[in-house]
Amino acid sequence: MIKKRRQFLVLSSILGLSPYVHAKSMTTYDKAFKKIEPTIAAVQEHMFPKGSKLPSAKMMNATQFLFETITHKSFDKDIRAFVLEGAEELVLREKDFTSMTSGDKEKALRAYEETNYGSSWLSRIMTLAMEGMFCDPVYGSNVNESGWKAINAYGGFPRPKTRYIEV
Amino acid sequence: MTSRKYDVVIIGSGASGGAVAYTLCKAGFKVAVLEKGRLLKREEFSKDELAYCRRDLVTPNLFDEYHTIEEKVDGKWVATPTYESGWSFWNGNIVGGSSNLMSGMLHRLHPDDFRLKSKYGEIKGANVVDWPISYDDMEPYYTLAEELVGISGHYEKHVYEPWRSTINFTQPPTKENAVVKLLDKSCKALDITPLVTPRAVLSKNKPGRDACYYSNLCGSYGCSSGAKGSSREALLKPALATGNLTLMTNSYVKYLHTNQKEVVSYAVVVNTITGKEKKIEGKIFVVAAQAHESARLLLNSSNRYHPNGLGNSSGELGKNLIFSGGGSGEGELHEDSLKEIAFKDLVTTGLFVNRSVLDWYFIDHWWDGKFKGGSVEFMFEHQNIITRARKNGYKNGQLVWGKELGERLVKRFNTYKNIRFEIFNDWLPNDNCFVALDPTHKDKYGMPVGKLRVEGHPQDQKVGNYIAKKCENILEEMGAKNIYSGVSSSPPQNLVAGGCRFGNDPQTSVLNKYCRSHDVKNLFVADASFMPTGGSVAYTWTIYANAFRVADHIVKRLSGNTVL
Repeated sequence: MIKKRRQFLVLSSILGLSPYVHAKSMTTYDKAFKKIEPTIAAVQEHMFPKGSKLPSAKMMNATQFLFETITHKSFDKDIRAFVLEGAEELVLREKDFTSMTSGDKEKALRAYEETNYGSSWLSRIMTLAMEGMFCDPVYGSNVNESGWKAINAYGGFPRPKTRYIEV
Repeated sequence: MTSRKYDVVIIGSGASGGAVAYTLCKAGFKVAVLEKGRLLKREEFSKDELAYCRRDLVTPNLFDEYHTIEEKVDGKWVATPTYESGWSFWNGNIVGGSSNLMSGMLHRLHPDDFRLKSKYGEIKGANVVDWPISYDDMEPYYTLAEELVGISGHYEKHVYEPWRSTINFTQPPTKENAVVKLLDKSCKALDITPLVTPRAVLSKNKPGRDACYYSNLCGSYGCSSGAKGSSREALLKPALATGNLTLMTNSYVKYLHTNQKEVVSYAVVVNTITGKEKKIEGKIFVVAAQAHESARLLLNSSNRYHPNGLGNSSGELGKNLIFSGGGSGEGELHEDSLKEIAFKDLVTTGLFVNRSVLDWYFIDHWWDGKFKGGSVEFMFEHQNIITRARKNGYKNGQLVWGKELGERLVKRFNTYKNIRFEIFNDWLPNDNCFVALDPTHKDKYGMPVGKLRVEGHPQDQKVGNYIAKKCENILEEMGAKNIYSGVSSSPPQNLVAGGCRFGNDPQTSVLNKYCRSHDVKNLFVADASFMPTGGSVAYTWTIYANAFRVADHIVKRLSGNTVL
């Protein structure tokens, strides 16, 4: 059966579809993002910690990349809202997530993953982090091609000179 | 509103639009090509996975323009807009269309593909008919396309390889990865004949186009040397050089207008940036917008003379839409168990696999039976890095993260490489595969969107599964691990044809044998819409060839050498 993404995003959220989908200006969204940014960064850093064979989320500017990516006009507006909402729900479930120990974060995220909604949100955060880590460095992540170097895989030539084929 | 009368107005700049424009411009006629998308220059085709493969940058935003897709739920047909599902049915809305982004693994149809009904008779639940032309009619145009588009390859005699009027390809095959040694040996051990894949990629320079430079990222990307035989590189550029072509980008055609019953007088066009409308007048109109969109345009062009859509007196417009049946499979070639070749050669990037199997194009077996089969292409798994990394991020249904993810990805990218096969078999035309106008949904230009019902025939999956098993045997013989295959009833949205069948009878077809509307004397449809059956190969070579054939006919007509 064809998956109905919008329906899923609306019905599965505890909060309901957030006003961010219809936000008149990006400023509303930007403010909300700033508020939740530490939570998103903490999730990314847990997924991509220091000491792994992959570069860390911090080293990859993962949170900045995520913000710039989801606020670009080419990004799906429903998923843009979903990224924010999912983080807000995590905070509702785990008030002190950012200050938890690594072990507690693991438990909290695995518990969140047990829900369809949480699983979908974590998957989206993972996708966005991997997009940053393995896309062309022109997008501000994959710093010094360290994502590519870590797995010994490189994109082809010519490389993009601008983001999103913008002239 | 401004207007200037062109000899020929072409809607769409993909493979068929380019072939018609090239032919007409070379013959000295004034041509306008209307393309909804923008012009991307050769140097803009970078290998940017994020932009080209993960965002809608060369296709419309689905919230602005979309389709609705019908599926059966509890016995009723329910339509879901593609902005809900994310299942886009757009394919490269830029100058040159999806031919910019193709993998270019092409084959000619077999002569019996033109006479499938005669060969196999009626198939219950399918609307199979013979074509009004034969392979012999098309062969000169396959040859022309091979030369102009630049299809490289090497002809090997095979029982299911169609005859050709030239001895061999003028372009030798592109360079091959060492894996072909292993693949060829494995096929031969199983008494299977591997053939060199004809590919619309230059192995040698042609004027204005450089040979392939083996970038490692070909399909889904535009080519930055001009090696890929896109409509933009191979046809539109030389057409522009004649001075006879006016290329109008960002030009969305809302509908075609007829002042009289049998003549289109102008196209109503919206500039997608300014929103301004204008009329483009022409003597002849050629619709080449890709099958499902061409039918939609004609349906949206209904008027008092043509209440059910332009040129739809047969009631067949939009019906018998077809895709490509089949599926795909993969296996892993691991460093520690690799046979015949060195691992460093296997992981050399950029070189092609270049192998096809036609052994099962027609099945006539004492046990399995007699039925139409299909073709198979071998290739490596697509080399997109993000996609490959992301696919490897789950274990027992849970996301893998942290140090474990690092270990997995390093192993994934350094100790094995996936070999893949893709199966192409007929998508039998049937009553539950068509495009109509959605009664409620409209695009941002206010025009009803196409509603696609996309049900396949059960036979399609049976054939796909039959071939998939044979291909799995090849991968096993190669020593691949974790082999799997999947044959789906879902349509591949980039392989679409039909909807404006051609035929000799105006009661049962939309177009005549020259792809001119039976009802409207100056209206042609040049893309894959004409195909009553699709054959068991990718459509592109046939689209190019047929569009050259149609264009030849238009030249004769404009030159006064033929009356229709």
